[in-house]
Amino acid sequence: MKEGLRQSMAWLHTWAGLVFGWLLFAIWLTGTLAYFQDEINHWAHPEVPVRALDARASLASAQTFMQAQAADSQRWFISLPDHRNPEMGVMYQVPGKTGRGSFSRNLVDPQSGAKQETRESRGGEFFYRFHFELQMGYPWGRWLASAAAFVMFFTLVSGIITHKKIFKEFFTFRPGKAQRSWLDGHNAIGVLILPFHLLISYSSLVIFMSMIMPASILTSYHGKVTDFYADVFPSAAVASAAATPAPMLPLTQLYDTAVQKLPGAGFSRVGVEHAGNSNATVEFTPDDSGSIAYRAADGLVLSAVTGEVLSRPQDTPVPIIIGAGFYGLHMAHFAGPVLRWLYFLGGIGGTVLIGTGLVMWLNKRQLKHAKAGVMPFELRLVEVLNLASMAGLLWAIPSFLLTNRLLPMAMEGRSDWEVRMFFIAWGLSLLHALCRRGKRAWVEQLLVAAGLMGALPFVSALTTDHGLWQSIGSGDWAIAGVDLTAFAGALFLGWTVRKLLKKKAAAPSRKAATRESVPVLESEASR
Amino acid sequence: MMPAVLLSYVGFTALCLAMEKHHGELLRRKPSPLHKRGLAVAGWLLLALSLALAVQQAGWAFGLVNWTAGLMGSAVLLVWLLPYQPRLALGIAGASLLIAPLTVFGVV
Amino acid sequence: MASRTSGVPLAYRLAVTSRILAAALGGYAVAALSSIFIAWTLPMARPEAVVSSMMLAFVVYLVAVLWCFSCRSAWRAWAGLLLPGLVLAIADGVLYWVNQP
Repeated sequence: MKEGLRQSMAWLHTWAGLVFGWLLFAIWLTGTLAYFQDEINHWAHPEVPVRALDARASLASAQTFMQAQAADSQRWFISLPDHRNPEMGVMYQVPGKTGRGSFSRNLVDPQSGAKQETRESRGGEFFYRFHFELQMGYPWGRWLASAAAFVMFFTLVSGIITHKKIFKEFFTFRPGKAQRSWLDGHNAIGVLILPFHLLISYSSLVIFMSMIMPASILTSYHGKVTDFYADVFPSAAVASAAATPAPMLPLTQLYDTAVQKLPGAGFSRVGVEHAGNSNATVEFTPDDSGSIAYRAADGLVLSAVTGEVLSRPQDTPVPIIIGAGFYGLHMAHFAGPVLRWLYFLGGIGGTVLIGTGLVMWLNKRQLKHAKAGVMPFELRLVEVLNLASMAGLLWAIPSFLLTNRLLPMAMEGRSDWEVRMFFIAWGLSLLHALCRRGKRAWVEQLLVAAGLMGALPFVSALTTDHGLWQSIGSGDWAIAGVDLTAFAGALFLGWTVRKLLKKKAAAPSRKAATRESVPVLESEASR
Repeated sequence: MMPAVLLSYVGFTALCLAMEKHHGELLRRKPSPLHKRGLAVAGWLLLALSLALAVQQAGWAFGLVNWTAGLMGSAVLLVWLLPYQPRLALGIAGASLLIAPLTVFGVV
Repeated sequence: MASRTSGVPLAYRLAVTSRILAAALGGYAVAALSSIFIAWTLPMARPEAVVSSMMLAFVVYLVAVLWCFSCRSAWRAWAGLLLPGLVLAIADGVLYWVNQP
């Protein structure tokens, strides 16, 4: 750090990248999958039929369900089916309970109002939650994920500072040159989609900013945090329940009013508060396709008793639009199919950015010990962690999906077992990584991952009525997409293994080449 | 979105050719200072034009998002093709330059 | 960058640890103090000022971290945080007194 800015930034980039890289790889990959969480949810519940969308009828069914299931519940939220996911979710606060864990989540048939019979599975929602909660208790997972996000942020910036030839080498990618190619690839992915990487990293901090940087809320609002939320989310500020019971108007009638007040808006979510009381409200949240900024609590609020408008979507002040804009750009709810795939590819890019960094970190130091034959403990640790965190995750993800297909439909605790298999598979990968070394360990693990992914469409076809033949035939591209993408992933991993094995055969000459080839990172920074 | 993305690709190709090293590799000749300057100016102008088209089509919010996505996508495609299929890379640029005006007017 | 741990002197290790602590904890403190300052000085309505202050605080945190690792010594890392931190703390104190409800 006495050597100059580029050197010190290279040091920071290298070490922060290593220590947090393993976690960040998992966050990025599961987050990338989360862009298709609705489709994966649909894939995980293939029994849910795809029907023509009818919001009005769906709401009637939801109300039927609530009256039968939990007529006393005062707070309930309905997520309406859309073209990406035919499921209707109804969640209600169990009467008598408050706070976290007090909500019952259900899938309801939008046609009949009965509970949707489908296999119990978290589907794509598991990947979504995992990428910011890390399967850890509240709020620790979020804190750790946020810390990782901040490390990603400054690791990106230190990488930019250290990349001396960022403009000169903007178009440079030289394959077939061992370490130089790895660095070129890492730099290319980093620089060419830099806006995406910076956006995702910074916006993830903005999403959790009230939790991780609350100082100014506490001081400016003199400790009254609820006042802050009321200011920023005006429609969420509902009056406290009045004592007088009063019947609610039918949801279909309120829906008609909402459509009249907000013509042209589709609604994604309907929320009922203080049901059964004179202060009952219904909020209709417009769907996200029309706006980049994510304004979940800026819907149309009607009195559930009289139908009058209590709050409309308002002109939001610019700074709040900016914050909501970052949120929306991260979540990509507005994205149509093309943009959504671009987001997905960008996410894969970010994941590969981290992965190539981890591999280069080890490769560079391994060269120094190649002659000695014995690897020092720290490098062996990195070798194991690299393999288990990357290939291991590639075992875990398809294992989760395969378990969805293989477990009996009516099994008790089914969805917990799917999650368990995710971690068991990951654990097995770690065990393998501890027992095997070097390139052959990678070849073995990637082959297993390829096998697991490649098996998915076949297992889907054998265990459900929605194998590729049927799903493509009926135009259900969500279900087909998951199977096809898994298979494409398997092909890609197979191709990677082939390249690794080819290189293995040419190893002696490669080693000679790398010793002479242009060294990486810090030395590059000093040129 | 199409014309904006096509023009981004051409713009990046021009900026790439404006660099002596890439110009030499791709066109097998040394670029004169005039060539370099001209290509660089053309490249930046094309990128700016692609931004204008994106915003004109979808407004500022969606326009900027689409433009940035198109920029990143076309840059990745170009850099990926350059070492493996340089002639294809240049061919796409040429074709894009021809097709882009047609997509603007809805012919293609 | 020496990878053989036995060859790395203790003083170096302590210096690195010191910088890490400065960056992680000191950087956060400076970011938080600056967010308080920004929220009270931005000429806009309260919720907007607070939202802006939080978004800007991460940039301050970023700069603080980069400072801690680019400056010439671990002492300078801390000094570079404590000085602005102190100024901000005093300013925040004044603003708190001015903004009493």
